[in-house]
Amino acid sequence: MSLRYRLILPLTLLLAAVMAYPLVFSAWISLHDYRLTRLYDVRFRGLDNYLFIFGDAPFLKAMTNTLMFVAGAVSLELVLGLGLALLLQRLVRFQNFARAVLLAPMFITPIAVGLMFRFMLSSELGVIPHYLRLMGLGVDWFNADLALFSLMLIDAWQWTPFMLLMFLAGLEALPRSPFEAAKVDGASPWMTFWHVTLPMLRPVILVALIIRALDAFKVFEYVYAITRGGPGDATEVILFHIYKTGFRFFRMGEAAAMAFVLIAITLVLVVILYSAMQRK
Amino acid sequence: MNRLCKWSLTTLMTGAAAVMISGASLAAELNIIIEEVPDYDIVKKLTEKFEAANPDIKVTFDAMPFDAMRDKILTSSLAPSATYDVIIIDNPWMEEFSRAGYLTPLDDFIKAEDGYKYDDFIKAVADVGVVDGKTYGVPYYNYALGLIVRQDIFDEKGIEVPTTLEDYVSVVKELTTDDFYGAAMQPQKGYKIMEEWKNWLYAEGGELFDENGEVIINNDAAVKALDMYIDTYNTAAPKNSLNWGFDEALRAVSSGKAATMLSYNWMLPTLNAKDGMSGDLAGKFKLYEVPGGKAALGAWFWGIPANAEDKDAAWKFVSWITSPEVAKERVIAGGAPVRTSVINDKDVWEKGFGEDYYTTLQGILEDAAPLATGPHAEELIEIVGTELSAAVSGQKTVKQALDAAASGVKRTQ
Repeated sequence: MSLRYRLILPLTLLLAAVMAYPLVFSAWISLHDYRLTRLYDVRFRGLDNYLFIFGDAPFLKAMTNTLMFVAGAVSLELVLGLGLALLLQRLVRFQNFARAVLLAPMFITPIAVGLMFRFMLSSELGVIPHYLRLMGLGVDWFNADLALFSLMLIDAWQWTPFMLLMFLAGLEALPRSPFEAAKVDGASPWMTFWHVTLPMLRPVILVALIIRALDAFKVFEYVYAITRGGPGDATEVILFHIYKTGFRFFRMGEAAAMAFVLIAITLVLVVILYSAMQRK
Repeated sequence: MNRLCKWSLTTLMTGAAAVMISGASLAAELNIIIEEVPDYDIVKKLTEKFEAANPDIKVTFDAMPFDAMRDKILTSSLAPSATYDVIIIDNPWMEEFSRAGYLTPLDDFIKAEDGYKYDDFIKAVADVGVVDGKTYGVPYYNYALGLIVRQDIFDEKGIEVPTTLEDYVSVVKELTTDDFYGAAMQPQKGYKIMEEWKNWLYAEGGELFDENGEVIINNDAAVKALDMYIDTYNTAAPKNSLNWGFDEALRAVSSGKAATMLSYNWMLPTLNAKDGMSGDLAGKFKLYEVPGGKAALGAWFWGIPANAEDKDAAWKFVSWITSPEVAKERVIAGGAPVRTSVINDKDVWEKGFGEDYYTTLQGILEDAAPLATGPHAEELIEIVGTELSAAVSGQKTVKQALDAAASGVKRTQ
């Protein structure tokens, strides 16, 4: 064996142990009727688990909710993050201070954020509805129509700073000359942003979008802490659904199949996003 | 390569040594998984006496919130050697865990125990611990639901505390004003709405299954119970409380914003505690049977895993903590009773929360039925609890939701 193969061998072995084995095993589980409380009776089901979940209304609803959540939350974070980054870049004094303050939400563990907003948004006990009421606004943040959107707002509160951080780094790394050229040519700020800043920032935006979107697919804590997927199934997201199926109902076969469908969908989305951003 | 090998070998050996050491000392060590509730603090304190009387047994509690328990018990039960020598089991899990072969039948232990008085456990509670004629769980504490009311408001307005569901609904509507509510409800999806609504279902004469085991959760009684529940939520419950669980409802009642709630009977002592969460309202709360009389029963049970190493030591602890004498001490200290002799003990009335509370509780327990039974009770509660919530939030009509609940429950069978 040549040196270079020997060098990657430990890592390959490690990855095989911690990634490939669980992956293959869960693929095996997804083809069986595998219940943790009936391990003496594990039966081969072929693709039945997959066929079943595609006709299963709760699964499809959870998937739809998740896709809406990801699309909504990530675009909100993109717009807010980019706007804040552009503003912050111009800030001369207190820039570091402002940066530190704006980044703070990222360092709170999501479950704590969930619990925090559960009480802050609670209609009877919460501070936000209280002040909204004083302004004459009665908003029910967790009714069936608004609950998913409220969770997006919470996600945006916590993760916009991540976008901000990425974009700020991206903006500061941009070369000065194209901006000077645009200035000489008499471009308006909007045109400069649209034709100079944005195209040059594209790789950073792509990376930030992918990282955030993959992360947003994993939303769990806010749902767990606040709505438990309710009212009804309005905020039932896919990870919460998989958790329930696998670890509360112990139907591991179905849960594994759901997880693989989730992986497939995520991969397809990443590929689409990647090629869309690369095209121009 | 070599270094990696050496490293993993060392790790393996250290691990093996650790397993051997813990294996050697297990005979004298009981590891108990338990839910972090007020009753646990009492059990923990009492256990000091057990350890003093049994110096060869060391008891360690692994206390955790409800949500963390189910999968830990499962993992311990699937492992070749158990993490837990004693577990507590929630009533919906009883059939599931015993059928899966996780639990030790306790009948022989019970028979051999002198002065244990197993018949003294309240029958409705003890029955949940019996699956296919074998006893797998000994009652630990009950969380049967009762009606908790602000007695001062009822007295002041000269209103009788309602005993039928119809009266309850009209009374709580009558009590509701702009900033005060007749009923603090807990319509949160899943367990919480199920715990509350099941009392309404009973009051209308409904059930989940008929005597032949057919699902009847979408029959007329259920429809009426849910119609009334939604009407009450819309007219007498705090606004925008669709995701409230028992803790939010408790806060609304204790802060004087609501007149009644259907909740665990042992919330009453919490509410009436001096210097407690209710402030000046302490002492003004009273417990009644739920409207209609029949209550949803929650209860926890002590069990010994099938793979526990030292079942005799485990039983020694379980039989001690549930023995008539220790049960009495536990209840006096504030624990929720499950023994008839304790509930009727004058000593308990005096040192505990008064005769009134215990006799009402006995009435509740004598006519109570478990939240859900069967090998898939946990899933059933979630399915039905989701559909109920969908109906209350207006995503589905009552009939649609209950039909969906019925077909969902059928699928799990």
